[in-house]
Amino acid sequence: MLETRNLSKSFGAIHVTRNVSLKLERGERRVILGPNGAGKTTLFNQLVGEITPDEGQVFLAGEDVTALSVQARARRGLSRSYQKNTLFDGLTVEENLGLAASVTHGHWHNIRYDSLTRRDVQDTVREVAEQVRLMPYLHARVSDVSYGVRRQLEVGVALATRPLVLLMDEPTSGVGPEMAKGFHDLLNDLPRDLTLLIIEHDMDLAFAVADSITVLNYGEVVFDGSPEEARGSSLLKDIYLGAWEDA
Amino acid sequence: MFRHTSLRFWALGLIAAAAVLRALTAEYFGVEMVAEIAILAILVIALDMVAGFGGMVSLCHGALMGAGAYAYAMLTVKVGLAPSAAFAGAIAITGAASWLIGAVCGRSHGIYFIMATLAFGQMGYSLVFEQPVFGGDDGVSGVPRIDLSLIGLDLNDPRTFAFACLFVLGLVYWFATHVLQAGLGRTLTGIMHNEQRMRALGVNVWRIKADMFGLSGMIAAAAGALAAQHVMFVSPGLLNWTVSGEALVVVILGGLGTIIGPVIGAIAFVMLKHEVSAHTDYWHLVVGLILIAVVMSRANGIFGWLEQRLSRARPSSARDVIAHQVRKDLAAQGALEDA
Repeated sequence: MLETRNLSKSFGAIHVTRNVSLKLERGERRVILGPNGAGKTTLFNQLVGEITPDEGQVFLAGEDVTALSVQARARRGLSRSYQKNTLFDGLTVEENLGLAASVTHGHWHNIRYDSLTRRDVQDTVREVAEQVRLMPYLHARVSDVSYGVRRQLEVGVALATRPLVLLMDEPTSGVGPEMAKGFHDLLNDLPRDLTLLIIEHDMDLAFAVADSITVLNYGEVVFDGSPEEARGSSLLKDIYLGAWEDA
Repeated sequence: MFRHTSLRFWALGLIAAAAVLRALTAEYFGVEMVAEIAILAILVIALDMVAGFGGMVSLCHGALMGAGAYAYAMLTVKVGLAPSAAFAGAIAITGAASWLIGAVCGRSHGIYFIMATLAFGQMGYSLVFEQPVFGGDDGVSGVPRIDLSLIGLDLNDPRTFAFACLFVLGLVYWFATHVLQAGLGRTLTGIMHNEQRMRALGVNVWRIKADMFGLSGMIAAAAGALAAQHVMFVSPGLLNWTVSGEALVVVILGGLGTIIGPVIGAIAFVMLKHEVSAHTDYWHLVVGLILIAVVMSRANGIFGWLEQRLSRARPSSARDVIAHQVRKDLAAQGALEDA
């Protein structure tokens, strides 16, 4: 469903990603681990087109999308949520989800009718609001809801585009342990045919959700395997998991 | 997001009633003032569509209005087209030009957008000023008004012309609010709030900006074509950046991003201009002081101030009550779980 071949990006003398090759099958849930500065978010930015790679290719559902713009990739089914909330703060939760859903259903460019009141948009908004547990907050302004609810909405907005592949950049970033546990259930309840690629620092979430784990270090893939293999990998313990195992 | 509210309906109804009454009962000068207000209101609605709902603060809307005026004047006086066809032609030509301006400037933001639109506006001003075909400094005179004798109306009568301007203003208000509540307007509002996210959702951002700028330019052109008919003369001064600056002042004075606010701003501006200029040549100083007071009050213009005052005075809307109840329920649920 999503594939990268030898994706490389440098900023001056710093190699942020080097020859990163990944292959995600339909419905696969992969977690990307790596210490700060390993190039995880830069990899995401290259996948969605926000950064152009120096070398390498990105394929979505078999199509080479390397040269396509952010919006063109999004329309082909590649959606993302951000590490820092990137929402429409002055609008309500419902309007946030509605804007995303109206793009999905092709109502975003018409001048004849209100895109947010269309039946298909409203259905998607409700469906996604239930998936990300936002039903009680639909009419609340984003600026009025808690940080945790905003994190849920961050994922909800990405989901409302009905993507083939959803990239999530640290969905539990900044939330407490209880809320993070809620995210485990939320992610596990997502449709099984949705392909997920998640950057995460929360090891519990990584092992609870992932079908496979990729570890980046200094921009290179240093591990690619199942969660069980990850637990047993001495290399991972050395570069990343030591602290987690000790804890 | 644009929404009709009861206050907006009330304001609209009051303005419409007052305008019709004024146009029916006033003497020549009062009737001319109604036409002047209506034309300015059309221009500032066009500007509010892009500035208030897309964050595109344009300093070329005066030039777009001037382009509409010149296109109408040239098509009628030089080409000999029927005024009604020239009116449609002026709107189409200016709409196409403003779409191109929006497509180019829409890729920039903030101060750069403002300067890029200013540059386009001044290019238009220079072109009209320098090219002999446009009459240079002398402009184009003898601009005819649309012939509506088929339906028994004579637009050469000032009162009838004022009503025609009010009719166009009503159409423009309906069109602007309709577009802002349609998919295009909603998407533009989303772009204003978070352009990066809209792009990540699959929206072609520059296209949305260009399309809305094109529609806004068409409305500005309608204002220009009416202005040309009003004074039956066009001159390069119509395209000068000061016209755009004045339009921006009117939008801020009335209430940015409200559509009805700029209409109120147009009424206040024209009345102030006429009333104060009767006593002193420095009427701009008075308008400046009022604008500073409005900005310092932190209300969104005259209409925003009204909205603030009335929302304090009246009980919360049904939605606010429901939202408050939901918050209370959630808080109670949380307290129970904690217990």
